[in-house]
Amino acid sequence: MNWLIDFFGDSANWSGPDGIPTRLLEHLEFSAAAFLIAAVIAVPLGMLIGHTGRGALLVVVSANAARALPTLGLLVLVVLLIGVGTVLPVLIPLVVLAIPPILVNTYEGVRGVDPDLRDAAYGMGLRGRQVLFQTLTPVALPLILVGLRLAAIQVVSTATVAAFVGLGGFGRFIIDGLATKSYSSVIGGAVLVAALALTVQFAFTLLDRVAVSPGVRLRQGREAEAAR
Amino acid sequence: MNGEPLVRWDWIARNWANGGPSAISTLLTGHIVMAFLPVLLGLLVALPLGLACVRWRRLYQPTAALMNVTYSLPSLVLFSIFLSVTGLTQATVIIPLTFFALAVLIPAVVDGLDSVPDHVRQSAVAMGFRPARRLLRVELPVAVPVVLAGLRVATVSSISLVSVGALIGQGGLGNLFIDGWQRQFYTPIVVGIALIVLLAVAADGLLVLAQRLLTPWFRARRSA
Amino acid sequence: MITFEGVTKRYRDGTTAVDDLSLEVPTGAVTVFVGPSGCGKTTSLRMINRMIDPTSGRILLDGQDVHGIDPPTLRRGIGYVIQQAGLFPHRKIVDNVATVPYLLGWNKKKARARAMELLELVGLDPAFAGRYPFQLSGGQQQRVGVARALAADPPVLLMDEPFSAVDPVVRASLQDELLRLQSELRKTIVFVTHDIDEAIKLGDTVAVLRTGGHLAQLAGPATLLTEPADDFVRGFLGRDRGIRRLSFISAKEIRLSPPPGDLVLDEDGRPLGWRSDGGPAPYGTFDPETDSLRAALDATLLSANGTAVAVDGDGRVRGVATREALDELFAEHAGGLRGGGLPGRDGDSPAVDGTPGDGAAGDGATGDGTAGDGAAGGGVAGQARAEA
Repeated sequence: MNWLIDFFGDSANWSGPDGIPTRLLEHLEFSAAAFLIAAVIAVPLGMLIGHTGRGALLVVVSANAARALPTLGLLVLVVLLIGVGTVLPVLIPLVVLAIPPILVNTYEGVRGVDPDLRDAAYGMGLRGRQVLFQTLTPVALPLILVGLRLAAIQVVSTATVAAFVGLGGFGRFIIDGLATKSYSSVIGGAVLVAALALTVQFAFTLLDRVAVSPGVRLRQGREAEAAR
Repeated sequence: MNGEPLVRWDWIARNWANGGPSAISTLLTGHIVMAFLPVLLGLLVALPLGLACVRWRRLYQPTAALMNVTYSLPSLVLFSIFLSVTGLTQATVIIPLTFFALAVLIPAVVDGLDSVPDHVRQSAVAMGFRPARRLLRVELPVAVPVVLAGLRVATVSSISLVSVGALIGQGGLGNLFIDGWQRQFYTPIVVGIALIVLLAVAADGLLVLAQRLLTPWFRARRSA
Repeated sequence: MITFEGVTKRYRDGTTAVDDLSLEVPTGAVTVFVGPSGCGKTTSLRMINRMIDPTSGRILLDGQDVHGIDPPTLRRGIGYVIQQAGLFPHRKIVDNVATVPYLLGWNKKKARARAMELLELVGLDPAFAGRYPFQLSGGQQQRVGVARALAADPPVLLMDEPFSAVDPVVRASLQDELLRLQSELRKTIVFVTHDIDEAIKLGDTVAVLRTGGHLAQLAGPATLLTEPADDFVRGFLGRDRGIRRLSFISAKEIRLSPPPGDLVLDEDGRPLGWRSDGGPAPYGTFDPETDSLRAALDATLLSANGTAVAVDGDGRVRGVATREALDELFAEHAGGLRGGGLPGRDGDSPAVDGTPGDGAAGDGATGDGTAGDGAAGGGVAGQARAEA
């Protein structure tokens, strides 16, 4: 507890290039950038594979690979290969690790839509793209959002570890604290990252409530209840 | 970068088992222990907790929420927090990883038991099974495929996450990353990544094999 | 014998599933609980093996209150068959069938041998024994379900819409199988269905239940058809009751005439058709030994000249039946079942049947409907079962 007071009480930590606000911005910038890039790549790809059914192997492989690839190792390797100082080397592992959750869940979401629904849509005369955007996507939205949420958290987490290879952000407090054996810095950093992760989690829960049609969300809830 | 090859095979040979604490083989065994122990402990705890959540549904909501929160926290955060409790030891990695395993395995146990079709459960009751025997002989065996699926996820994640522990000096094969970074030397890093991925693939494969052997009756439903 | 004494089941939200139900399920016969959804038929069934306990009233099994028996013990002595079979997916078929014997402590060899016997009894190829449920069709799984229920040779069998999930062709063959089994085994069977035709086909006694859990009528199928207790039962039975009732009268009773000259036969004595200018005209046949009056009527309608051809088991002509001959029988059986008809198959005899008036009171009146004669006439009933 003392450590927390020491850390957050120290006014030096609240200003300047090493201050909490600066670090927060750094962390957010990188996370947001990586997340958006990953989303732009993975959501359309997931929808395409889900809708056409081709390339499903890619999804499966990426899902398993993502879980097995060590974050730290990837970061260190890419930065060493490409060189420190530029944004890119850090961004690449961040994006690569964020793609699989989005890809898998978007694919599952589109794929998992009741085949009868798809049938009815085509039967009514909707074309492929219309079927995709007007029926499949809204129904698949909950799972797509799950994938996005998982990716966002993954990115926040990877960005934290990326402090080791020179990135700023909240991870800096932890890494620097470990190096200087300043435990208050370590704990302070940990709390900050935790708060950030939980805020992101919460934000997505809100987004889910807002974006997903009640007809879809409540039905899933009822099905989950019925399955008990 | 400065003409350094990606892999220097002689380095691997020299450092495979040189008797020191940073020998690759030593790190490998340490990694295996730090990865599998949490999963094992997690399973042992998740089984009774999961059963409790199924028996007393009201427990599940808060439990699931807690698991969700835990899982969203980066591993480094938890390692940092436990540092004050268990210092720079393996325990600081093992305990948080156990929580991560629980976060996957408790829902797996609950979902597994929920996956038992109601008519199967009703039949078992109607034939005169007592609750304990029914659980052991009917419900748990039918729940195995789902639980094993969760076990695969937990195991692979665990294997990967151990490496982050290198930041506090306890990363198993992850220590190779720190080494490579500090010396600007690719080989240990590549070896580390390769071994971790191989370990994950092997563990996953073994679990799939186990599932085939344990549940010859199970046909996975393919997504439409 | 299973006795319901004023059994009521009321749920916390106020719904009454079963309302003061009192009736007797006779030993060694099939009693069908039938009615629309919400009539409490499944709830009543499940109170027998204590899957559900009544709010008030009691259920007696051979004079003993089931409430006093430890549920698992009770259930091991009662067979239970449900719609989706409920087979254990993780066990082979042979082990599924042997489940209750295993529970009772039989040694594995004996239990499995018994299981194989039962598989044969329900008409399944022994090759199925080593397979898993997912490898069997719905109809096959149902047969396994029945075999499993019979494994420990329980005196009572409870069946909850067991054939509702299979297609009509499979359903008909499963129903016939059940009747055949029952003629051999003589179990006390309580069968639940929402299908009145299934109830009439299978039941020695039929209990018609109304939404809200009241007993509307308890009677044998033939009586049900000719004397429905009230408008609800009448409506539930559906149309063509008179014609369906004919299924319960044996064609044996028809006065046959010798085959007339204008019936063309082949060398073996089998019919080819009625002589006419355009060649042999259509004819309809029935077998007086095994068919019902309904089949005979149908045969007269299929014949070009309205005369049915009576044949034996090999298809050889035994005689003919004119409409007049049928009319004689119609007159004899008109409106009711006094004297004649198949003993026991109606589940009642003039003396014992509760009068329709009592059954009509919508307060769950006790139907008598004891199929005492039905049980006694078992052998005859089993054989002489007329086809619908």
